[in-house]
Amino acid sequence: MVQTLSMTKAMPLGDMVFIIVAFLLLMAILKHVAYGPLTKVLDERADKINHDLDSAQEANQQATELVEKRAQELKASKDEAGQVIAAAKKKAKDQSDALLQTTNDQVQGMKQAAERDAAQAKQEALASAKNDVAALSVTIASKLMQKELSADDQRALIDAYLAELDQQ
Amino acid sequence: MDEPTSTFELLGLTFTWTTIVSTLLAMSLVVLLAAVLTRKVAVRPSRGQNVIEYVLDFVKGILGDQLPSNLARQFGLYSFTLFLFLFIANEMGLLLQVKLGNDVTIIKSPTADPLIAFTLAIMSLMLAHGTGVKTLGLGGYLKNMFFKPYAAMFPLNVVEQVTNFLTLALRLFGNIFAGELMLNLLASMAFSWHGFGMIAALPLEMAWQAFSLLIGGIQAYVFVMLTAVFTAQLSGEE
Repeated sequence: MVQTLSMTKAMPLGDMVFIIVAFLLLMAILKHVAYGPLTKVLDERADKINHDLDSAQEANQQATELVEKRAQELKASKDEAGQVIAAAKKKAKDQSDALLQTTNDQVQGMKQAAERDAAQAKQEALASAKNDVAALSVTIASKLMQKELSADDQRALIDAYLAELDQQ
Repeated sequence: MDEPTSTFELLGLTFTWTTIVSTLLAMSLVVLLAAVLTRKVAVRPSRGQNVIEYVLDFVKGILGDQLPSNLARQFGLYSFTLFLFLFIANEMGLLLQVKLGNDVTIIKSPTADPLIAFTLAIMSLMLAHGTGVKTLGLGGYLKNMFFKPYAAMFPLNVVEQVTNFLTLALRLFGNIFAGELMLNLLASMAFSWHGFGMIAALPLEMAWQAFSLLIGGIQAYVFVMLTAVFTAQLSGEE
């Protein structure tokens, strides 16, 4: 009994109890002050980083899709523009061709009409000249030769002359 | 260790003033430090938060290297507290030692006292053994502790458990106690030879203080790590 008492004197058990209790208390305080909030914040941060990474990946994918879509759209509108231009060119060419054709036709018609008119005028002039010359010749001849010649004979003679003239 | 002490009795238990004052002072410093560094805890950390987050990460790293993740999580708070307390307690005596008029050292590093070191070791090992029983069951725990790798190892395993306890406590106590003893010797040397000892003692004291700072940090790390190692061994994780 005396020995155990002296043992407790040499090794103060109270100190051990005190240290353990104080340490547990310190743990409780630190949990409340530092460990709890820090762990919570670290978890929150990990969650946030995970979330951010996920959403970044998603956004990246969306952006890629969008770029692809835009490229396709651009290609489609380029094709369409090409088609529109080609159609416009074709239409313009057709129009100008048609206009040219019409003009050609008109010119041709006018030319033909003019030629026809000229030929007719020439014919008429020739016919009238023939008659005039015949009449004039008859008059001159009857005057000169004092001899009446039948008009028909005279005409035959004139025609012969005129044929000679044509050949020349 | 044959220094004069001042004790008092309460409920049949003996308390030592030095232990109580030094421990309380170290713990107050820990609480103060933690409270200042975690004043504004946010997802985007401030400078103070970064520091204590680094400490927490460091402790978690020690645990993660030794323990499976569920045990590492359970031991997080304990190891975090232990590390902060040991670190402050180990370094405290380097800056501050107070002797009362009756030659009783009232404030020094708490861990330079063998009783405190042993108490902390007992606490750590009790936790480790408790975790072993919880993880493996009582039979599995005993078998794992004494009959691994085979039954013939029993005597050596018994010795190992005892030395585990002794070395855990004595390593901490020895390092810190020796560090402070050296500091005190150098300090008394400084005041010998009519003050001329100061010339030789000052650089030595500075060098030894730097070394002791390092030792204090390392011992805090080693103690936390060994706690994790023993827990892993006793719960069958090699």
